[in-house]
Amino acid sequence: MKKAYILIAAAGMLAAASCKSRIEPETPSAGEADFTTYVAIGNSLTAGFSDGTLYRSGQENSYPNMLAGQFRLVGGGDFRQPLLPGEYGWPSVKRVLGIRTDCTGAAGLTPVFYTGGADTAGSAASIAAGGPYNNVGIPGIRCIDYALTGYGLLNPYAARFFSNPVGQKPLDVALQPAPTFFTMWLGSNDVLGYATAGGEGTNGGVGLNDISPFVAFKVTYDTTVAALAGTGAKGVLVNIPDVTSVPFFTTVPARGLVLTEQAQVDALNAAYGSLGMQFSLGANYFVIEDETIPAGRRQIRAGEYILLTVPQDSLKCAFWGTQVPIPRQYVLTEDEVANVREATAAFNQVIAENAAKYGLGLMDANNYLKTLQSGITWNGVTYTPTFVTGGAFSLDGIHLTPRGYALVANELIRVINQTYKATIPAVDINKYGGIRFP
Amino acid sequence: MKRICTLTATALTASSLAFGGSFQLNLQGIRQTAMGGTGVAWPWDASAVFFNPGGISRLKSLEAYGSINFVTPNVKYVQTPTGGYTASSNTHTTTPFAVYFGGPVKKGSRIGVGIGVYTPFGNKLDWGNSWTGRYVVESISLKSIFIQPTVSYAINDIISVGAGFVYGFGTVDITKAIPIQDAAGNDGQASLSGNANGVGFNLGVQVRATEQLQFGVSYRSKVNMKVNEGDAMFTVAPSVAANFPNTIFSSELPLPEILTVGAGYRVTKDLTLQADIVLAGWKTYDSLSFDFAENKAVQDTHDPRDYKNTVAFRLGGHYQIGQFAVMAGGAYDPTPTRDNLLSPDAVDANRITLSCGATYQPLPRLSIMAALNYTTTPKRTASYDPAGMQGAYQIKSLLPAIGVSYSF
Repeated sequence: MKKAYILIAAAGMLAAASCKSRIEPETPSAGEADFTTYVAIGNSLTAGFSDGTLYRSGQENSYPNMLAGQFRLVGGGDFRQPLLPGEYGWPSVKRVLGIRTDCTGAAGLTPVFYTGGADTAGSAASIAAGGPYNNVGIPGIRCIDYALTGYGLLNPYAARFFSNPVGQKPLDVALQPAPTFFTMWLGSNDVLGYATAGGEGTNGGVGLNDISPFVAFKVTYDTTVAALAGTGAKGVLVNIPDVTSVPFFTTVPARGLVLTEQAQVDALNAAYGSLGMQFSLGANYFVIEDETIPAGRRQIRAGEYILLTVPQDSLKCAFWGTQVPIPRQYVLTEDEVANVREATAAFNQVIAENAAKYGLGLMDANNYLKTLQSGITWNGVTYTPTFVTGGAFSLDGIHLTPRGYALVANELIRVINQTYKATIPAVDINKYGGIRFP
Repeated sequence: MKRICTLTATALTASSLAFGGSFQLNLQGIRQTAMGGTGVAWPWDASAVFFNPGGISRLKSLEAYGSINFVTPNVKYVQTPTGGYTASSNTHTTTPFAVYFGGPVKKGSRIGVGIGVYTPFGNKLDWGNSWTGRYVVESISLKSIFIQPTVSYAINDIISVGAGFVYGFGTVDITKAIPIQDAAGNDGQASLSGNANGVGFNLGVQVRATEQLQFGVSYRSKVNMKVNEGDAMFTVAPSVAANFPNTIFSSELPLPEILTVGAGYRVTKDLTLQADIVLAGWKTYDSLSFDFAENKAVQDTHDPRDYKNTVAFRLGGHYQIGQFAVMAGGAYDPTPTRDNLLSPDAVDANRITLSCGATYQPLPRLSIMAALNYTTTPKRTASYDPAGMQGAYQIKSLLPAIGVSYSF
């Protein structure tokens, strides 16, 4: 009897002490790179822009900040971001999901402007004294702006943290912290401004709605990378996604004109039949403005895009897309799409050449976004480029959610590990938030 | 940059609402547990109802038996390939039990009867609601109880046979997070719970070749545990709640057929050694599906599992010291799971078991029994591809068990 008691007591003690698993992750390694001072160069995507604006938690969830957190595991140091004081959005208010009643009286869930109190006081004040900053992502900046002295005067986001907005080039600001490692995701705005303006700018101009001239892009990009690599810093270049694959362009369907009554069909065919347009019951291509043909209007074709900014109430209640052609600033036509794609390909060629020339990593964001089309699943959540429900894109249809940025961070980590033989752990994407539903 | 988008449906992504994995419990007898799980050849007590119904008619008299186990597994997860993230399952103790009554209908009879109530399969794993895999599983609890009336017949002094009918019933409870965040940033929640039942049978042949050498073969059939009207409850942000109506679901989980072949050898008057080989037909578990009565945002799920059949080896010994006996054993149980289909709701790996135990007979008719079972797995790096989840896992468990046996 005693023996049994002793055995039971011993068993109890052992069980209490428990046999816990002691497996541990392998110790991460920096490989051949030095992450002591990391600088993130880029535009709004790098700044942590989300939901149509910049706000503090968006900045805190920027992919560079996530990367810096992982770099700290392998010797990375302090990472300073030019944080805004508040959550309201600056200069413009952020978007949130809300219920809105449209012109037909139907209520639906849709992005609306945030209606909470503004906490933007002090946003415009210079915080240069807190620098130099490691995240030098500037919303709106193009590659061709990078060598422009005085850029800080043109861009309020830059003006906030440039120590000498009049005399500095953005490149000077990027070099200020003396980076040992950098990421550079520059160039999207050299095509995006043209695309989001419906392709109404010039192909090869320097206006904000233009596609940047190739030579200017190449010279600035080459100069910038040469300056960075010249310091001995290692890094990763990120190329330009196909902007027409983001929800800003893909959400409103070209074939979204749904006709339910024969009378409508007959009226449209009577009015437009002579122009070669055809309508039938069911889904039809919208009528758009096209200044390049004599009639000035035609039906949109597959492969052309209607922008997310098109007023939905005008489509639903003011006969846009039928009697009233959709104005051209809301439409990206075949020729315009071709301009965007050709420029993107040419710019990406420059980026790839620089990566090869200096032995830098290259993250193929263009290809990654294509992978996203078919869904990327990570720890039980599948991400797609679908607006709102896809989980990766924020409510402006161009910038990402914190989880979307975490996907970018992990792809960058993959490239860094591969290029520099490092073993930096991936970030836990599920630790970050997605779109919030009321 | 606004409007559009009247949300119609947000799919429950990559849903793997799973029951469990290699959730077989080999804890149906204290002596057998102490001897590495062996016991098909040798009828030690009324637990032969489970281990080999053919052995019931070999017992000297009617016996009653009861035992309980205290199972507290620890499972640890380490993110791969370059893991910074780790998680450990929360600790819960479950208590699989076994109760048997059986033996020859009267002294010297060739006919034996018996009944057993036991817990052959079960799984409880709780990762909590904030871990990285919460959209795959937060917690899972699978319980099963089999009731098995049994008859046995000794054909002659050498061969005896037995058969039992199995009625199994149990419960399944699964919770997981839904990747839709409300205004406060909280995830949605899904909870599936239901009752399951199924039927099967149990056959056994026991061969007493000599006084020293015995053989046994037992076959336990597949039992298809069906859930017909489980409750599926969803909690999501109010604006999308209409897409997630609470509904009922049906599902089924096949518990595999198991063939055990073994031998026992009495080396000396006091020392008995035994060895079993166990073939488990896990191949039947090729996928796990949930069929929801109402499909809006939540679609029916069909998750591949693609289990493999397994062969396990077990070895044990029993040494009698007067009123006492001590036992020890070990086992190697390979996993039926595949490296690319290892879900965190059914973590498994090749298991190595070491065990020991003791019995004490204060009265000639009464035995008090205790066993200790230690199971571990090597670190296993695997993925669950349908959920895009990879990691390294390890299971450890130290399991005490106690029981009593009384012969009439």
